[in-house]
Amino acid sequence: MNFAGAETWLHKVNPSLKLGILMVLCLVALFIHDSNYMMNVTIGVLLLFLCFSGHSIKHMLFLFVPFCFIFISTSSAMIFFGKGETLWFKWGLISVTEESFMRGLLVGFRAMLFAALGLTFSLTTRPVNLFYSLMQQVKLKPKYAYSFMAALRLIPIMMEEFHMIRNAMKVRGFARSTGIKAIYFKLKAYSIPLLSGSIRRAHRIAVAMEAKRFTDTAHRTYYYEYGFSRKDQVFILYFIIVLLAGFYLAIHFPLLPK
Amino acid sequence: MKKGLKLTDILVTIVIAVAFGIVYILWGSIYYSVKPFGLHLDQLIYGMWFMAGPVAFLVLRKPGVALLAEIAAASGEFFLGSPWGLTVLLYGVVQGLFAELVFMAFKYKNFNLAIAVLAAIASCLGSVVMDFAYGEIAALSVWNLLLFLIARFIGSIFFAGVFAYYLVRVLEATGVTNLVRPVSSKEYAELDQK
Repeated sequence: MNFAGAETWLHKVNPSLKLGILMVLCLVALFIHDSNYMMNVTIGVLLLFLCFSGHSIKHMLFLFVPFCFIFISTSSAMIFFGKGETLWFKWGLISVTEESFMRGLLVGFRAMLFAALGLTFSLTTRPVNLFYSLMQQVKLKPKYAYSFMAALRLIPIMMEEFHMIRNAMKVRGFARSTGIKAIYFKLKAYSIPLLSGSIRRAHRIAVAMEAKRFTDTAHRTYYYEYGFSRKDQVFILYFIIVLLAGFYLAIHFPLLPK
Repeated sequence: MKKGLKLTDILVTIVIAVAFGIVYILWGSIYYSVKPFGLHLDQLIYGMWFMAGPVAFLVLRKPGVALLAEIAAASGEFFLGSPWGLTVLLYGVVQGLFAELVFMAFKYKNFNLAIAVLAAIASCLGSVVMDFAYGEIAALSVWNLLLFLIARFIGSIFFAGVFAYYLVRVLEATGVTNLVRPVSSKEYAELDQK
């Protein structure tokens, strides 16, 4: 992800806590079966994302395209093919009923909520910070944390190798060949060198890391130290307010028909 | 076998998984380009998302690798900005766990095509369980749901079972698997004879 945006208070929330809270919200969302409530919570999370992720409006609108796509694609299947009693519209296999329509909206909002939660997290948290925090607050074993960090560092190298293979194929004229056989050949020509090269490189790096005692748990010191702060309380409070206010509004001012 | 995975095993697993994470992200756009055709054609290619676990296990042949690989692939996908957000993490854990249970049931001693297919089916089952909880697919009409399930199972057997198995077979030919697999008792016996 691109971290070009400004730093906001969301960046300073403890990464482990942030991940934990968002996970809990994902589970909570499973038990929300009311379209109005789900919509309110989704709007609450979207507001947090829009106001405090620190990215420009243009960048966020660009990120919004997949959101709408997810909303339409998840809800449409349910709206068109779902079960229901009160028939609104029927055309061949497609039958839109009131129940399926409401459930489609619910599923759509839920998918959108998950996407918003995920983006809020990944746009405001650097992976390195998360793994350092996980080692300190959740006691994740350093061998796992450092492996993850090393592997994420290898992504640009993999991309570079991918381009190298593609250029090599272009030079040799394979790029234009078509048909099943060509697809099979290309699949093999890309995946095997990329995978075997990555495994060899990972093995070499791991041997070096073991030699440098990256696996040591007992006497570890950390370059980045993480604790808890006021911002964590604000973060928790925000979601409590969203959940409560959303519930209140859903009961007293429902926007969608029950 | 010594307890736990060594850093080497973990790093190799995660690197394989991250490579799949990149594929998963690209696969997402293919998935969405197939989706508008309707009739759950998209489910035929869903199986790709179960591949990391079986491939990592068949390469490394160690306990815990399949689970770790699926979690790592999911988090790689998550960090690269998956439109599904945090759900990929939860799905990844469940899919990896189901595949891992299959390998565990055979005591991590079986590495043939059948076990890969079984693990693929298990992962698929895991994803369906998650879908019942999240997507409320239970509310789809019966014919539509059946179509959905059949398409997904066929897709996962092909991608995560058959394709994963032959991919590792070809990888074996490159010799890279010898680096990371545990030494078998057969190899010790060969040393003894000399």
